[in-house]
Formats: sequence, structure tokens, C-alpha cells
Amino acid sequence: MISKLVLVLLLTLSLTGKEFKKKVDKKHNVYNQHCLPCHKHLPYSLEKIYMLYLKTFSGELTFKASLKAFLKEPLEETSVMPDEWIENFSVKEKTILSDKELDEAIDTYWELYDVRNKLH
Amino acid sequence: MYSNQRTTLSNYAHEQIQQLRRLHRDFPQKTDYPRNPEFRSAIYDIERSKIFSTLKNQNIYFNKAFYRKNGMIRFMMYLDDYYLGAKYLFIEIDEDKEWYSRVMMEIFTLGTIILIVFAIFGLFFVNLFLRPMKNSMVLLDDFIKDTTHELNTPISAILANVEMMDLTVMEEKNRKKLARINIAAKTVSHLYQDLTYLTLDHNRQSKDEWIDLKRLIEDRVEYFAILAGSKKVTFDLDLNYSTIFIDGIKIARVIDNLISNAIKYNKRGGSIKITLRKDYFIIKDSGIGIEAEKVNDVFERYTRFNSSEGGFGIGLNIVKSIIDEYSLKISVDSVLKEGTSIRVDFLKGTVDDK
Repeated sequence: MISKLVLVLLLTLSLTGKEFKKKVDKKHNVYNQHCLPCHKHLPYSLEKIYMLYLKTFSGELTFKASLKAFLKEPLEETSVMPDEWIENFSVKEKTILSDKELDEAIDTYWELYDVRNKLH
Repeated sequence: MYSNQRTTLSNYAHEQIQQLRRLHRDFPQKTDYPRNPEFRSAIYDIERSKIFSTLKNQNIYFNKAFYRKNGMIRFMMYLDDYYLGAKYLFIEIDEDKEWYSRVMMEIFTLGTIILIVFAIFGLFFVNLFLRPMKNSMVLLDDFIKDTTHELNTPISAILANVEMMDLTVMEEKNRKKLARINIAAKTVSHLYQDLTYLTLDHNRQSKDEWIDLKRLIEDRVEYFAILAGSKKVTFDLDLNYSTIFIDGIKIARVIDNLISNAIKYNKRGGSIKITLRKDYFIIKDSGIGIEAEKVNDVFERYTRFNSSEGGFGIGLNIVKSIIDEYSLKISVDSVLKEGTSIRVDFLKGTVDDK
């Protein structure tokens, strides 16, 4: 009887874990599918761009809000990239992602490179 | 001192910003937060969320650029470029108590010097202002010494001549006049003795010797007999043999003053009983007495209990000073309007125990 209970419990946990992983993967999917493909061919890594944004906007909320605003309406004036970059690659095109997808992608981006988790 | 700390902390902050700039550039290859043994630091983002901290205490005040708390000094600096996302940089050091003790030491030293200077000036001015008063006192003292000394010769001459006069060939009327001269001269003489004792004699070296108290009291009673007779005061002597090791002049002053007071403050037709035993004597009068609350004041200088009587109020003060000098014991027992009894006890060693 006890072994059955343990088995049921393990099964439930395993399913819950899988569900959670699926959700996380799905969340990260937006970033992986819509950001990485283009940026991996560019000389400036996404981490470097993150550090540029961080140096310019400091806090998490400001960072995310500014990035979202730029992705929805990319302009030379609002870009944090150096002039040489703009000259060579110009600014990107407007995003085709929905607000929700955009938020998910930006959240993934923030979590991935958050300096708090790396400083020691 | 405290402002110096601010400069030091500001320098530390600039140093830390340079370190953060380098770390930001090299991130994530380098991830070690810059530390310095001289200070502790913390960085916060624009939303006041902590990025990293090495502070002892995580309670942070964003509205104070420089403050002391719990033995620590903190300095806050804003970053223009948000390296690692940092908008606020806090620098913290332990409060240096050395400046505090140095300031206290300087205050103490300076205070002491100022106090000494004031004390020197104070002494100088006090001396300057008191000099005329001192001079006056010296002048007065000299005057009293000179006059008392000059009084001695005429009084002695008067008394000697009065003694030598042959009363048997004298008319009754003249005998009374001569008695009055004698009393007056003896009163002045007594006063002279007190003043001389106060101004000249009391500082002299005592010449202690064995004094026959019975004979001394009898002599002094005889000396004051005319004065007592003028008030019709009678003596009742109950004297046993007793000797005391003391300066003759001083014990005479004690007995003279006590008898003189017993006569002075007695009523007309009163009596004085003098009792002498081996280790004490009592002089008891039937006079006006002293109020109970004033008994303790009788030995104070210039205290007089009846302003109608002559004198300066120095007699009992002299008595007390001699009594104290020889560690004798004096006690006063007085009942108002009934009389006063003064008892002098001799200590063992001063009386002849043979």
C-alpha cells in the first residue's frame, strides 16, 4: 500500500516537473526562436548588448521597459548601440511579436544575463 | 576631523567606480566584485534594488549622502554611467575614534592652559586690589600693638601707687575714691592683658611649669576682690591642693577671664563659688545666666551677652584657645537668671599624680 502511494507521488512529481520544464522551455522558446537566430550572426553578442543596456538604464523595470519600447519602435535616436554599429548594420526592424511574447523574450533575456546571479 | 573622513571616503568611492568600470568592461570573464581592505561597499540600481553588497549592515539611507551610524561612517555617491547597473554606490568604514580623543585632548590641554592663565591673572589682580586692605590691616595691627604696649607703663604706675598708699590715714570719702581708681585701673589692666595676649603673646613659645593652682586662684581672687566688692559680690572658696603643668601666664589668663566674667555678669550682692579639686575646678556665679541656645556661642570672639557691661567679647575666646592648646576640657552649664557654672577638667598627665 505504501509503495503504491510512493509510486503515485513520484509519478505526480515527475509529471509536475515535466509540465514546469515544458512551460519554461515554451517561455524561453520565444527568445530562442525570435532573438538568437539573427543575433548569433552579429559581431556584438547579446551579452554585450545586455551590458550596454544595463549601463544605460540600470534597473530591471527601466531596462525591460526601454528595451520593449525600442523593439516596438526602433529608432537611431533611442538605440544604445554605438554609431559605428548603426552605420554598418542600421537599426533593426519593428518586432512582429505580440506584447506577451515580447515580455517573455525580454524576461528570458534579463534572467539569462542578470549580473546579480554572477557577481561574487 | 569628521569632514576629513568625508574626503577620504570620496576618494575611496572614486577608486571603487574605476574598479566597477573595469569589471563592467570585462564582465562576465571576470565576476569578482572589487573589494578593498580599507573599506566596504555596496551597489544599488536606479530602482534601489541591491546588486551587490559587502556592508556590515544592510540598512541603507538613500536620502543621506554622508552619515554616521552604529560606529560606522557611510558615504553615498551617484554613478553617471551605471556600471553593472549601479546607480548608487555606498562606501562604509568603521568610525575612527582617534579624531574624537584627539579633539578631547586638545580641548583639555587648551582648557587647562586657559585656566592657568586666568588663575595667574586672577591672583595678580586679587593681590593688586587687596594690597590697600592688607596695608590697612598691618597698620591697624601695628597701632594696636604699639598702643597696648604704651598702656602698660601708666597702668602699672597707677596700680603700684594705689597699692602703696596708706589707707589708714585717709578719710573714708577718699578711700572710696581710691578704691574706684583701683577698680578702673585693674579693669584697664585686665583688658590690656587680653589684648596683649591676642596681639603679642599667644604666638610666643610656651614656658610650661608646675603651677600651684590653689595659690594662683587665691592670688587672683585677692586681685579681683576690690572689683567684686564694688558690686558687693562675695567669694566662696572651696580649694583643695592641685598642681598643673602649664604656662603660668596662660593659666592666669584663663582664671582671670573666668573670674572677671563671673563678677561682670553677676548681680549686685551675688556670690561666686570656686571649687578646686585635684583634676578640675569650677567657677560658679549667681548672675544673669545665658540662654540655652546661646551657650555654644560663648567662646566665639566678640560675643557679648550683655551690652551694658564693658569689654570686647574676647575673654572667653582666649580661654578656649588656651584650653584647646593644652587639650583640656571646658564645659558650660547655665540657667537663665540663676547663674552660670564653668568647669575646667585637666587631663591625665597635666596634673601632678603624686
